[in-house]
Amino acid sequence: MKTFFYPRLAASGMIKNKRMYLPFILTCTGMVMMFYIIIYLAVSSVLDKLIGAETLRQMFALGSWVIAVFAAIFLFYTNSFLIKRRKKEFGLYNILGMGKRNIARILFWETVITAVVSVIAGLVAGIAFSKFAELGMVNIMHGEVSYDLSVSFVAVLRSVEVFGVIFLLLLCNSIRQVRFSSAVSLLRSENAGEKPPKGNWLFGICGALLLLGAYYISATIENPLAALMVFFVAVLMVIVGTYLLMISGSVIFCRLLQKDKRYYYRSNHFVSVSSMVYRMKRNGAGLASICILATMVLVMMASTTCLYFGEEDSVLTRYPRDINLEFQFDDLSDFSDEHTETLKNGVYEELKAKNVLLRNDYRYRVATFYGVVDGNTVDVDPTNISDTDFMNSAYVFRFIPLADYNELMGTDEVLADGEALLYSHRTNYNADEVSFKNGETFRIKKKLDALTGGSETAMDVISTITLVVPNLESSLRRLDGIANFNGDSLLQKKWICSFDTGMDPEGQIALYHDLTETLRRDPSSSVKLGYKSVYISSQEFEKNDFYGLFGALFYLGIILSLAFIVAAVLIIYYKQISEGYEDQARFLIMQKVGMTKPEIRASINSQLLTVFFLPLLLAVLHVTFAFPIIRKILLMFNLNNARLFASTTLLTVAVFALFYTAVYRLTSNAYYKIVSGLGGDR
Amino acid sequence: MSILEVRGVEKIYSTRIGGSKVRALRNVCFAVEPGEYVAIMGESGSGKTTLLNIIAALDKPTNGTVILDGRDIGGIKESEIAAFRRDNLGFVFQEFNLLDTFTIEDNIYLPLVLAKKGYALMRDRLIPIADRLGISGILKKYPYEVSGGQKQRAAVARAMITEPRLILADEPTGALDSRASDELLRLFADVNEAGQTVLMVTHSVKAASVSRRVLFIKDGEVFHQLYRGDDTSEQFYQKISDTLTLLATGGQIK
Repeated sequence: MKTFFYPRLAASGMIKNKRMYLPFILTCTGMVMMFYIIIYLAVSSVLDKLIGAETLRQMFALGSWVIAVFAAIFLFYTNSFLIKRRKKEFGLYNILGMGKRNIARILFWETVITAVVSVIAGLVAGIAFSKFAELGMVNIMHGEVSYDLSVSFVAVLRSVEVFGVIFLLLLCNSIRQVRFSSAVSLLRSENAGEKPPKGNWLFGICGALLLLGAYYISATIENPLAALMVFFVAVLMVIVGTYLLMISGSVIFCRLLQKDKRYYYRSNHFVSVSSMVYRMKRNGAGLASICILATMVLVMMASTTCLYFGEEDSVLTRYPRDINLEFQFDDLSDFSDEHTETLKNGVYEELKAKNVLLRNDYRYRVATFYGVVDGNTVDVDPTNISDTDFMNSAYVFRFIPLADYNELMGTDEVLADGEALLYSHRTNYNADEVSFKNGETFRIKKKLDALTGGSETAMDVISTITLVVPNLESSLRRLDGIANFNGDSLLQKKWICSFDTGMDPEGQIALYHDLTETLRRDPSSSVKLGYKSVYISSQEFEKNDFYGLFGALFYLGIILSLAFIVAAVLIIYYKQISEGYEDQARFLIMQKVGMTKPEIRASINSQLLTVFFLPLLLAVLHVTFAFPIIRKILLMFNLNNARLFASTTLLTVAVFALFYTAVYRLTSNAYYKIVSGLGGDR
Repeated sequence: MSILEVRGVEKIYSTRIGGSKVRALRNVCFAVEPGEYVAIMGESGSGKTTLLNIIAALDKPTNGTVILDGRDIGGIKESEIAAFRRDNLGFVFQEFNLLDTFTIEDNIYLPLVLAKKGYALMRDRLIPIADRLGISGILKKYPYEVSGGQKQRAAVARAMITEPRLILADEPTGALDSRASDELLRLFADVNEAGQTVLMVTHSVKAASVSRRVLFIKDGEVFHQLYRGDDTSEQFYQKISDTLTLLATGGQIK
């Protein structure tokens, strides 16, 4: 019998504290499950049938590490609540003559029980759900579905390894904590006296300034490339700012409330404000963490959902027709009407030979180059353009000949020499002139609202200005000399030809491969038709590619969000439960002094509401201000649908808030039960 | 008319398992007149804390009635009981029961804030009380910053600020050293002199000897009572002490 003494002591201790242990075991189970599923997907054979399998595997592998690291940090955090709670019991054992060694044995068995139960449960749940996860993923990525259930031993092994290590670390940490404290301090650890907190103005102000700075960056950033560069700086500022603000800003705020006698000395504010000061000091970090987690979930969900559902959109913007051909020339003389005509005839012949019926086809010549804009002058000399200029004020300039424009848009605009039509994309060009340094000056005759075949510009991260000019060749001749880097012209000369085919997706992809063979791979075509190289793109092909990439992102977004949500929820739960035990005595006193049950309930509600919804509110504020910068970054994925992004953001916030409220209810009930449950209660 | 009348109060606890019954109080009867200072004495387990809880409406008697200022406590609605307690009774506990999240001042205000009184009124009431109890200097401090005696005086101030009909004190000197105890007892005497009715539960002879009347409880019954009359507290101390000895040795009291 004696051999089972410690396991039984451990088990009974856990059962007695089930309010603390059950959520902990559930969390561990959840983490194991998610870890297993991600590894399972990473090694799943289903991936092979999807486009971009290698990218997906890498992403899932990365995702599995994120989950593992996150699980380790998070389980440490929650375990600290457990240890804090059990210390008193261990102190008692210690005083009753049980050595630290024996306590360590109890801890050992507790960890073993927790580990075995949660790893087994997690694996069972993981295996059960992995098929759903796989089906979900295949569905999201528009792949082929198979229905046989399989168990991945690699995934099982990896899960057991990773979580085995995590639990071992947890055990070491627990033992360390018990080892280095005396019996009396163990006994008292839960109600050690505490100084009232003082808000640190400097920290509070710094926090607020950091947040405002990050918000300002996000709200004012114009250039998507620059946005990507500063995004991580802004994220860091928000994280630090949130911690500072939550930890000391909130204490300062409560102190100010306390100064207002008429507000403070009201029965519904009195208790909550004063205990909030304490709560904030101890929980500032926790609240900030919840806030950051919530923000991460919201941003991740909103942007991955937006990417996924917006991909159709973005493919269409990027590739307006089924097939797009971009022929590149070396020499300006290739831009002549005659040469263009020859090329057109050659290409159309080729397509006819392949039995392609062209629909909605359009063609135009275009020359592109970079320039830095200062007022109304444009410098195109690459030696004058620094990297910072490039980030902040570089534009892509496109020149289209008037004839091609008129054909493209079905108009009959007329331009005199030195006149131009201007179309700006992702920017507003306000001057009436465009003056190229050491080159021509164009008077803007008209600003255009639309331009077919934005395909090329939509791709660019950088703002684009398109000029429709009366005489392309002569205009370019001077620029070609300036936009020159070590003898290489930076002027790109292209003839673009796009068309629909009326074929089914398979046919389109087949045509795409066929054209790649004949026009791209076969050098004789380029010589025959007279071009340097060609870039071929197919809407359908790109779509599949996008589905692969964004589908995986979306999927990973969902799984990671789930992990973060679970974490946020548990942080809150443990916070409230452990505070509940500490508050028991406090509320007992208040009852004796004459606080009624409804008053206690009201006071608990107002405190919980703040503790719960303050982080959520701040998170929503963060997301609101993150919106502009993320929108800029999404532009790089060709996603320019502000309404879609706004609605996915709103939807995510709504779903999250709903879920959050449900957890709030559960926690508040558990807390109330603890606080009002003990003695003297009438 | 009496401020407090306890009539035939009986309290029976059933143990959780098996349902065997323990009688903590049996047929307790006594009355407290306005301005009295009554001490209830008894050993641990004699039922004195149960009695105090019943008087404070923190617990319900199995039988009998408690009438406070002409009102039967048993007849007060569940929802009003806390408010009733707040308005009519002041509490002083052995372990002070100050909230560590409040300053001393706010701790004292607590019952008035719960009663939804304005700040000006609270302030007006606090100043003379704090003055009398000698805690004016520590009002802005937190409980952890002051001594046990000061904490208990703050607790007395909290009990008095509602101007209650009756102050109930449960072993108020239990957690204090002898000097702080003496000071506190002098305070109680002063407060009583000024007209405040006080009911104190204690097993300290010294604490009881400051009161005007002592009730002895043994095995759940009021066994005996002593009036101080014109005795000095030293003489009274002796009498109480003798009575306790008799009680403990099981001798008869005439």
